[in-house]
Amino acid sequence: MRDILRTVRRRLTHDDPSTDGGTITEQRPSPGATQRVRDRLGDRFGSDFVESLPFWLPTFLLMGLFVYGAIIWNLLISLTDYQGFVQPDYTNLDLEMYAQAFTDSSVVSASVNTFLLLIAFTLATLAVGLGLAILVDRHIRFENTFRTIYLLPMSLSFVVTAQFWLWMYNFNNGVVNILLGVVGLGPVDWLGNQSVVLWAVVFALMWQFSGYAMVVYLAGLRAIPTEHYEAAKVDGASTLKMYWRVIVPQLKGSTISASVVLMVFALKAFDFLYSLVSGYRPPAGSDILATKMVREAYSNLNWAYGSAIAIMLFAMALSIIGPYLVYQFRRGNL
Amino acid sequence: MPRKTYSELTRRRFVTAGTVAAALGVAGCSGDGGDGDGGDGGDGGDGGDGTEAATVEVLHGWTGGDGAEAGEALVAAFEEESDVTLEFNAIGGGGNENLDAVVANRLSNNDPPGSFANWPGKNLQRYTGALGSVDDVWEEEGFADSHIQEAVDLHQQDGTFRAVPLGSHRLNNLFWNVEVVEEAGVDPSSITDMSAMVDALDAVATETNAVPMTHAMSGTWTTTQLWAAVMLGTEGVDAYTNFIEGSPDRAAVKSAFESTAEILENYISDDAASLDLTGSNNNIINGDAAFIHQGNWAAGAYGNAEGFEYEADWGAKAFPGTENMYTLHFDSFLYPGDNPTPEASKEWLRFVGSEAAQTAFNPPKGSIPTRTDVDLSEFNDYLQDAAADFEEAEHRPPTLQHGLAVVRETMNALNDVIADEFTGPYNVEAATDGFVDAVSN
Repeated sequence: MRDILRTVRRRLTHDDPSTDGGTITEQRPSPGATQRVRDRLGDRFGSDFVESLPFWLPTFLLMGLFVYGAIIWNLLISLTDYQGFVQPDYTNLDLEMYAQAFTDSSVVSASVNTFLLLIAFTLATLAVGLGLAILVDRHIRFENTFRTIYLLPMSLSFVVTAQFWLWMYNFNNGVVNILLGVVGLGPVDWLGNQSVVLWAVVFALMWQFSGYAMVVYLAGLRAIPTEHYEAAKVDGASTLKMYWRVIVPQLKGSTISASVVLMVFALKAFDFLYSLVSGYRPPAGSDILATKMVREAYSNLNWAYGSAIAIMLFAMALSIIGPYLVYQFRRGNL
Repeated sequence: MPRKTYSELTRRRFVTAGTVAAALGVAGCSGDGGDGDGGDGGDGGDGGDGTEAATVEVLHGWTGGDGAEAGEALVAAFEEESDVTLEFNAIGGGGNENLDAVVANRLSNNDPPGSFANWPGKNLQRYTGALGSVDDVWEEEGFADSHIQEAVDLHQQDGTFRAVPLGSHRLNNLFWNVEVVEEAGVDPSSITDMSAMVDALDAVATETNAVPMTHAMSGTWTTTQLWAAVMLGTEGVDAYTNFIEGSPDRAAVKSAFESTAEILENYISDDAASLDLTGSNNNIINGDAAFIHQGNWAAGAYGNAEGFEYEADWGAKAFPGTENMYTLHFDSFLYPGDNPTPEASKEWLRFVGSEAAQTAFNPPKGSIPTRTDVDLSEFNDYLQDAAADFEEAEHRPPTLQHGLAVVRETMNALNDVIADEFTGPYNVEAATDGFVDAVSN
């Protein structure tokens, strides 16, 4: 350890021994066992490996234990039959819980709902975010004010927005039904009608996150040189055509990074649904894997089954993050 | 400088690894989302060596309204009786879901509280392996003689007492707003079967602007308990008992669903699906609805409403067809095994089953004592009537929705069926199959 610290100190003070070896040679210890290990590690991972250890190792170990350790433990529990308050038996591991999940109609419908929510929410939020970003980018007056207004819902907690929308979706005196009533559309039971409720939830989440998509797109738009706009104009493109053919195609990077964040948020819609009904059972027709998982674990104490659903959810999150990382790595951004 | 390039490449690889780690971290959070932290919950006192200066930690879910007031009265009464320091920790939210989750976490982490509020009966099976014996408390205090037989039976698991009851609510109630039913020309006391009930609802629908029956369907539990009341009222105690014991008669289950569907299809409000219990009770208090089926915690809400008096403004009777029954519910305290404070916890449980505790807690809570020897002068008129029915009832079937009749997993399965098939449109066949499957052994 002292070796490492000395190396660190040496690096921090830019006291590089290689240029001025005279006095340093005395301090240099004979290549003992530690030194040999260091050398070997250095050969394998590069010369900075040992020197940089103090900077990344503590975080690496903590992350490893509390995130990856927990995931692996969760995986292990999902292979047992752990239930109730009798300690799990780790000697008999099998995939029974996963087999059960694939034939459980409520898990299947929760998965379908999770996918619908994920896709509808992400697409709708990107579309609205892009629209807002283009409007704000048209050099309107009070541009900053509008940007803040659109971004504000994003800063609110799910608990708050769920309560907002619970009131706004109220059948008798909710603002949504009152507005619909003005144009002569009959009141809709937004949260009670099984075929509508999921889309009502998607809409509420879109309201909350489109501000975020707008900010990402706005940054993308600002990065496009004005020459592109001017060239399109000179060539006689209409505003619509200019955006559709010239500007929007250049926003691919923004779209990809915003959609990854949004999709991961969609998988975490548990908070919103929980706050909506203040319970683990969301309105009929809007059950997603996250709520199903918590119900199995805490209402039924089926720890193993709940863990299996958690692992499935984790796999879904990985399948979203994975391709993104590969994409970024190929582009050399990692 | 080939060496430098090499090291940069390596650094890039580290950054890659780090970013993968961070990204997985984000994903990992979503995977574990919502499993809460379960509360660190104090250290539950240090040892139960004698009652002096001992501490007992008790978890409960009474965070607001009647419950909080009743809890305060209970704490005050305990402090008068005992030297044990009481840590009376409320864990609210989501009905009792958060309390259950915290208790589940603490029991599985071998960090049990001294005692916690929950339902006895079949619900005790949820805690198999985690509960200790309180046979000595029941024996020393003679609780078995002072309580009704059903309480004695339902607080045991495999012949061992695991809990002590504090109070009881009645489930098979029909409440009404007097003004509305008078306007409709209905005499509620004559409603003693389901067809009279439907006629009365019909009269309200045609004669008044009020909703005939207010029903809060933002949760599924209200519908499950309504179905149980209809089942008792139309099919009788035997059919109900067969159902909860795992040998249901499909025809009886279906018939109860048909009667329930008839009410829900025709006589509840348009906004029922997003209505919660508070809103539903307000419909009765404000005269926007005529009837409601609820546990008699609803009576607590009416009693607290300003200028809304029992018998003058609101009335109560047994749910049609269940006049000789009292559908039992218990608020009880369970005793975890491996208890951090065995002596102090048992002192608490001795108190819970005593007359002092039950007369302090039950009047503000709107429930009645589970003892049969309590002086009822402190209780209001409604509760005195309820207590009289409690003692005189011919049958005391256990509640389906509140833990006594079936194990928790079955109860959740029944609610899944309601959520999937019976929240409108009302699919009687599918719901019947679901219920029969859920309870069948």
